[in-house]
Amino acid sequence: MTICQFFLQGRCRFGNRCWNEHPGSGGAVGGRQPQPSGSNRRGWNTTSQRYSNVIQPSSFSKSTPWGGSRDQEKPSFGSFDSGASTSRNRGFALSQNPFASPSSDEDKDEKKLLEGIVKDMEVWESSGQWMFSVYSPVKKKSNISGFTDISPEELRLEYHNFLTSNNLQSYLSEVKDGVNQAAPTFGFGSRQAVTFGSPGFPVNNSSSGSAQNFSFKPSSGFATATSGSASVSQNTPAFGAAPSASSAITTSTPAFGFRKPEITSAASFSFKSPAASGFGLPGFSGFPASMAAGPVGVPVAPAFGSSSSVAGFGGAGSRSHTAFSKSSGDAFGISSMSASLPVSSGSTTTDNVLFTPKDQLTAEELEQFQSKKFTLGRIPLKPPPVELLNI
Amino acid sequence: SPPTLPGNFLIAGSWANDVRCWEVQDSGQTIPKAQQMHTGPVLDVCWSDDGSKVFTASCDKTAKMWDLNSNQAIQIAQHDAPVKTIHWIKAPNYSCVMTGSWDKTLKFWDTRSSNPMMVLQLPERCYCADVIYPMAVVATAERGLIVYQLESQPSEFRRIESPLKHQHRCVAIFKDKQNKPTGFALGSIEGRVAIHYINPPNPAKDNFTFKCHRSNGTNTSAPQDIYAVNGIAFHPVHGTLATVGSDGRFSFWDKDARTKLKTSEQLDQPIAACCFNHNGNIFAYASSYDWSKGHEFYNPQKKNYIFLRNAAEELKPRNKK
Repeated sequence: MTICQFFLQGRCRFGNRCWNEHPGSGGAVGGRQPQPSGSNRRGWNTTSQRYSNVIQPSSFSKSTPWGGSRDQEKPSFGSFDSGASTSRNRGFALSQNPFASPSSDEDKDEKKLLEGIVKDMEVWESSGQWMFSVYSPVKKKSNISGFTDISPEELRLEYHNFLTSNNLQSYLSEVKDGVNQAAPTFGFGSRQAVTFGSPGFPVNNSSSGSAQNFSFKPSSGFATATSGSASVSQNTPAFGAAPSASSAITTSTPAFGFRKPEITSAASFSFKSPAASGFGLPGFSGFPASMAAGPVGVPVAPAFGSSSSVAGFGGAGSRSHTAFSKSSGDAFGISSMSASLPVSSGSTTTDNVLFTPKDQLTAEELEQFQSKKFTLGRIPLKPPPVELLNI
Repeated sequence: SPPTLPGNFLIAGSWANDVRCWEVQDSGQTIPKAQQMHTGPVLDVCWSDDGSKVFTASCDKTAKMWDLNSNQAIQIAQHDAPVKTIHWIKAPNYSCVMTGSWDKTLKFWDTRSSNPMMVLQLPERCYCADVIYPMAVVATAERGLIVYQLESQPSEFRRIESPLKHQHRCVAIFKDKQNKPTGFALGSIEGRVAIHYINPPNPAKDNFTFKCHRSNGTNTSAPQDIYAVNGIAFHPVHGTLATVGSDGRFSFWDKDARTKLKTSEQLDQPIAACCFNHNGNIFAYASSYDWSKGHEFYNPQKKNYIFLRNAAEELKPRNKK
């Protein structure tokens, strides 16, 4: 018997009645409808062949496995490899049409594309390449959203500007946000992010003092707040601060959830972008405006923008309730920050809004906070209770 | 901080806000001649065609014209954001300075007037540019690539889809055998250079990319380190090209034979910029930190160097088929 071409494409109208051969599921399924609704593949194919449609789901599937493999928090390259390869497998499992046994040509192309992208991402992370670059999977096509393009000179200029205005920590928090923004999008972390984000202070920091023991990892100790020192803000938790494309937010969330397990992620997640997440801490919504006028005024890539100001501030806030007022005061104790005064005063009053008391949390939220990382779809919208914070 | 040299003088701009001029003698000795200051780091410099003036572009959003004979510098251009590239254009019916800036505009200045002769909008921030009359090419952020034709007046010729997948870093135009500009080489942060012809007889075959400035070339199991290509320069006589990268090496390539001619030893600092002198005898490259790894790797104690190298022999192309 001839093999039914329509069946191979997954759309044979006759199903069991078909006179042609249906390989694989000869008697299993009867009367199949042409377009199985559950097939993701179909959806991707029928919508335009634009790569952006393909990319978003694939990066989504990519980051989740990476999240899983990152549990042990090993920033070594070995974990990357396993993470990436599993992601590749899972990505394909996700994308394979369960009904069609041999894939059509379109599927093959998409698979190849996904493969190519995964490989590129692997190479990108492992190679120590410059992080702040746009990317497109195929030459001559448009860029994937969610990547920002910043040249080294721009970054260096930022550094110089902040150096002269004595605002080094603002620069650092900006870099950190940029890193965290770029990083979750392709599940970075480890090598590059640490080197980029960790503020090993340059020699000419004026007020360095004892602020040397920075660490990017959340669980390690936060630098003790010394007055006027720029020690604080480096622990700005990983923000998936609102990138220009909203779809990137969804992709960053899973990676985000595992990056900073438990507390700080919860708090920072809620601060992520008051506009995007609709969280809107009352105290904070006013601040981005004032902060944006500060050192962020330098025209850096728009992705930094106001989100970094929120980040810098929110970071200080979410750290600990005890050191809260102190830390915020220190982070912005530099007098050139015009917004520092209202900030520090406002911070203490918003103390109680930052953390919900335990009784206000539902059981599910409580369980989420207590677990090592958030599960998608159940990320609490309220900030974590003070008691669960692990300082 | 790119050096440029016609007439065997070397001009280099630096992040210390200054522009310096040395005279290079045939023996290889250099004599510092003069220096000018900006109020911000200098991102690009270029010579006028007669070698009497130097144009400097800086992060202080201005560009200046430095008359070497009188050692005076006057401002000739103004942007809303740091000026990243500056080139001198000499056309039969006009001459001007082209400045590209992070404010997404390309402005053309007659040095005598404080208003630009022309302003062209760019899709994104200007990252690098090159000019060989009558062609100019500008590479911007977000992988933008535009070619301009400069006859009678600068106008946009074509927007090209970038042949590279990552951020553009540097671009250089090359000429064909008749000494007319015919294409350009584009370098990215991903250790790759694309050779692109403007009107090739066979685009699929003629345009190509090659990988460079990577560690660990053959071993595919271990991860490569990939470095950005910081600068590309074409030898004015041989047509071969040199690339310098963040890995601290420079390489010479023959694009027609599609081979590598030489790779240098690794310097301890990245090489930020390079160029040739007018007859191709000297290759200059600047060794200093290019911020490719962020600020933690910035060591202000490390000295920055500019090296001069005899380039007459090493850049000869391979035997023609």
